[in-house]
Amino acid sequence: MREFEYYKVKNLKEAINLSKKFGKNKRFLAGGTDLIVRLKDNLIKEENIIDIKNIEELKGIKEVEDEIHIGSLVTFSEIIESDILKKYSPLIVEASKKVGSPQIRNKGTIGGNICNASPAGDSIPPLFCEDAKFFLESTNGSRIVNIEDFFKGPGKTILKEDEILVKIILKKWKENEFGFFNKLGQRNALTIAIASSCIKIKKSDGKIEDIKISLGSVSPTVIRAKKVENILRGLKEYKKDEIIKICDEVKEEIDPITDVRGSREYRIEVSKYLVFEALNNLLNIRG
Amino acid sequence: MIKKIDISKALKLNGVVAVLTYNDIPGLNGFGIAIQDQPVLCYDKVRYIGDAVALVACETKELLDKAIDLIEVEYEPLPVVEDPLKALEKDSPKVHENGNIHLHTKIDKGDIEKGFKEADLIIENEYRTGRQEHAYLETESGFAFYDEDEDLLTIFCGGQYPFRDQIQIARVLAIDPRKIRIIDEPMGGGFGGKDEITTQIHLALLAYHTKRLVKMEIERDESIVFSWKKHPMILRYKTGVKKDGTLTSNEIYIYADTGAYASLGGPIVNLAVEHSCGPYRVPNTHIEGFCIYTNNGVSGAFRGFGVNQVTFAMESQMDEIAEKLNMDPVLLRRKNILKKGDETGIGSKIETSIGLKKILDEIEKHPLYKDREKNKIDSSEYKKYGVGIAISYQGTGLGVGLPDYGACWIEMRRDGGFNVYSGSVEIGQQMKTTLKLIALEALKISDEDKVFIITGDTSITPDCGTTTASGATYRSRRAIEIASKKMIDILKKEVNEIFNIPTDEIKIEDGIFKNLNDEKITTYEDLAEILYDKRRLPKTEGHFNFPTSKTKIPGAFGLPHYIFSFSGAIALVEVNILTGKTNLIKAVNLIDGGRVINKIGFEGQSEGGIVMGMGYALMEDVIIKNGEFLVKNFSTYLIPTSMDSPYQIETIPIESFEELGPYGSKGIGETTMVPIAPAITNAIFNATGKRIKQTPATPERVFFALHKLPEK
Ligand SMILES: Cc1cc2nc3c(=O)[nH]c(=O)nc-3n(C[C@H](O)[C@H](O)[C@H](O)COP(=O)(O)OP(=O)(O)OC[C@H]3O[C@@H](n4cnc5c(N)ncnc54)[C@H](O)[C@@H]3O)c2cc1C
Repeated sequence: MREFEYYKVKNLKEAINLSKKFGKNKRFLAGGTDLIVRLKDNLIKEENIIDIKNIEELKGIKEVEDEIHIGSLVTFSEIIESDILKKYSPLIVEASKKVGSPQIRNKGTIGGNICNASPAGDSIPPLFCEDAKFFLESTNGSRIVNIEDFFKGPGKTILKEDEILVKIILKKWKENEFGFFNKLGQRNALTIAIASSCIKIKKSDGKIEDIKISLGSVSPTVIRAKKVENILRGLKEYKKDEIIKICDEVKEEIDPITDVRGSREYRIEVSKYLVFEALNNLLNIRG
Repeated sequence: MIKKIDISKALKLNGVVAVLTYNDIPGLNGFGIAIQDQPVLCYDKVRYIGDAVALVACETKELLDKAIDLIEVEYEPLPVVEDPLKALEKDSPKVHENGNIHLHTKIDKGDIEKGFKEADLIIENEYRTGRQEHAYLETESGFAFYDEDEDLLTIFCGGQYPFRDQIQIARVLAIDPRKIRIIDEPMGGGFGGKDEITTQIHLALLAYHTKRLVKMEIERDESIVFSWKKHPMILRYKTGVKKDGTLTSNEIYIYADTGAYASLGGPIVNLAVEHSCGPYRVPNTHIEGFCIYTNNGVSGAFRGFGVNQVTFAMESQMDEIAEKLNMDPVLLRRKNILKKGDETGIGSKIETSIGLKKILDEIEKHPLYKDREKNKIDSSEYKKYGVGIAISYQGTGLGVGLPDYGACWIEMRRDGGFNVYSGSVEIGQQMKTTLKLIALEALKISDEDKVFIITGDTSITPDCGTTTASGATYRSRRAIEIASKKMIDILKKEVNEIFNIPTDEIKIEDGIFKNLNDEKITTYEDLAEILYDKRRLPKTEGHFNFPTSKTKIPGAFGLPHYIFSFSGAIALVEVNILTGKTNLIKAVNLIDGGRVINKIGFEGQSEGGIVMGMGYALMEDVIIKNGEFLVKNFSTYLIPTSMDSPYQIETIPIESFEELGPYGSKGIGETTMVPIAPAITNAIFNATGKRIKQTPATPERVFFALHKLPEK
């Protein structure tokens, strides 16, 4: 492990001022479950580590009218335990349960998961289905960006040099909304997704009024499968053959890689069935 | 190919104590249990990515990385030998100068042509198995120091056979083995992976050179790269069978990837050959085993020792035969299992106990098997359940012609207790507990504090052979029994002398000498005091040679084995046919290891064997491409977690009494794992109708076996 300077900051202002000073040559440290591993493997070139764990402004889950605000330092364990989220945004709860192990869920934060920008980040597909917004702050002030504009590639985001993710903003679920998250791994716990899919559906009068589908680990970033969404929107009857055919379209929307977890071919083929499996859990699909 | 090694810059770094290369090796620059083909420090060629080129000792651990970066090695790349089948071709580049075949064993029995002519059905398949990592909790580590006054080199290190380590070190340092003391620290798991040298020689070299206390600890990502693995094998099987299920013939080719160096690859391939027909009578066989050098890491000893691979192949064959003949899988096995006096696939007679029939009886009446069709009714449209079985056997002990013995020393202490010295080592398998239980019983006392077990120290314990091949308990037990009996005889004689009571009228109950009227004569404590005053506290020795077969198999060193443990498994799996992900839901292990001595230890071995076998079946594989490890840490080399383990595990002991064993017992360390993988893949077949011929049965492999969803 290479040597680095360590700074522990007390508030947001201090954090962004310090990060302005170091520019590119710095990293924020939240739970450290990504960063420390990479530091040990000598994959981090930055020489200054700014520990943000003590910043109060980044903590807590709050209800704000019809929104929920999740601080970037909120851990997966806190998400799983949160009554607010269980009630108003259960998909992120389900996805958080699938992250790593109890130890990782106790330390790892949602902000770290987002800013690490891995296509396999488990909290990200549900956030796509929720049309989440990210509240960012820098020395130039704050801004809110849509999740769809945030990710640029594996490990790449639009975050500016001195910018920090403060909180994640979600809309509360309404009636008739249902969701399902499924993660395919090589084993049942402590595993990075081979592929994952997440679906949120709004039903009315037995038809799909709205649907959002996102997929993880099958493209450089988590993606939305909008083509498939468009075909499914408005659908009333759920015939197995037809639905499978529709799910097949997802192949056009993804661009996976081959790695030790699975081949590109497998990821392409299995994505369709992951989406189908999720739909099967939400709709009454018949033979 | 090494062109140049320059250590000068590293030596100049402040805090670097020593940098050693092949130039600094006084004796033989080689090690290996069977042949010494692996350099301690490479000089001409690097044959795999885990080979050692230089040894560095620094004042601090942090400095090591810097020092290593300063060592300059100039290489000329050589072609990589990757595919064991291609390595056999004449024009393949050679890993070792003598060619890529380390060993080729060929065995014929009966008349293979005739056998196939008699057959009504011939099943032909190729199977492949994965490269499994031991994944012991504790990585290889140890420390060493050299005492100049005593001229004694002491090495503390977790290994499986301190006396052999001692010899291997002595050869490299060119010193008298008696100047080397190995103290085998209890360690966090071996599974065969620490049978070969790990850090011992490197520690010894550094301590000898620096004359200082040296510590060495291999990190996980280094451990996975440098250490031995279970041999990946390619297995070609052609099996002939009559309509009524009687096996007529087996033609088998086994290609084992032993990696860059031999280690125990030869004996492992021979064991695979010996067990390749499973525990069945097959009258006509032609079996060939190849142990092949490649540049893919190194393979060596691992729980099962070659038997996992062939059992996976043979039990898959049996399952397919049962399916094609439309015969119950238990019935098919019943027709063919070995009985006392039968010949195994290599033509050696089995004359020791066999628990196979009982195992099949138990499988047949077990609800998991009996009601397997009912179990399937729970299957949902996209999740299929299936039940599979497999049986296997495993020779215990090292085999014919190899030194295989147990030894034990017992001394009475002044307090009436005993010190028991054994050369077997504690590798996390509860060896010390087991030895204690045996000694307590043999020495006729119950107070645990009265027996002190001392293991694995070349200076104070006897040589007890290697703690491997499921035989350590067996070996040391026999030795303890013998030494204890001598001890009891001496003690009775002393009582006879002092109290004037005929020895045959003395009995011992829990450390108390009694006469025929059940009256107390004296106790161990009191007697010890008297004997101590006379400076006559007794010491005894027990020696025991592992029983081996009287016949040998020509052309196959070490074969056959004489005593076998048997096992069977039932697996219930759930296959997600949308993704290919398979879960083991329930597992039953039926083990004939003779009489059970340490019940908790027995169940521990069984449950561990199931989970390790499941990892082997479903996920574990060290992937190497072009000589590079694509998997080198537990983040990518996945072993089962508690969330993957079956929620119900049952262990059923089948106690066939082995007359030769201590208290009628045999070894179980390996056989508990062997039938698990084929039971699982057979269950996948039962669930989906697709046969998985390559382990691990990853979601991807199962998915592509299932192709697409059945179009309805
Ligand atoms: C054993 C293990 C298992 C894992 N399993 C999973 C899994 O199953 N699923 C999964 O998705 N992930 C998994 N991970 C990855 C990791 O735990 C998660 O990505 C976690 O959410 C990272 O959060 P953290 O707080 O630890 O981030 P850190 O490591 O502290 O930071 C990660 C990155 O984000 C940046 N960062 C953090 N917070 C902010 C912020 N507020 N503003 C700007 N930048 C910020 C850091 O500078 C750093 O570059 C696993 C990791 C390990 C070690």
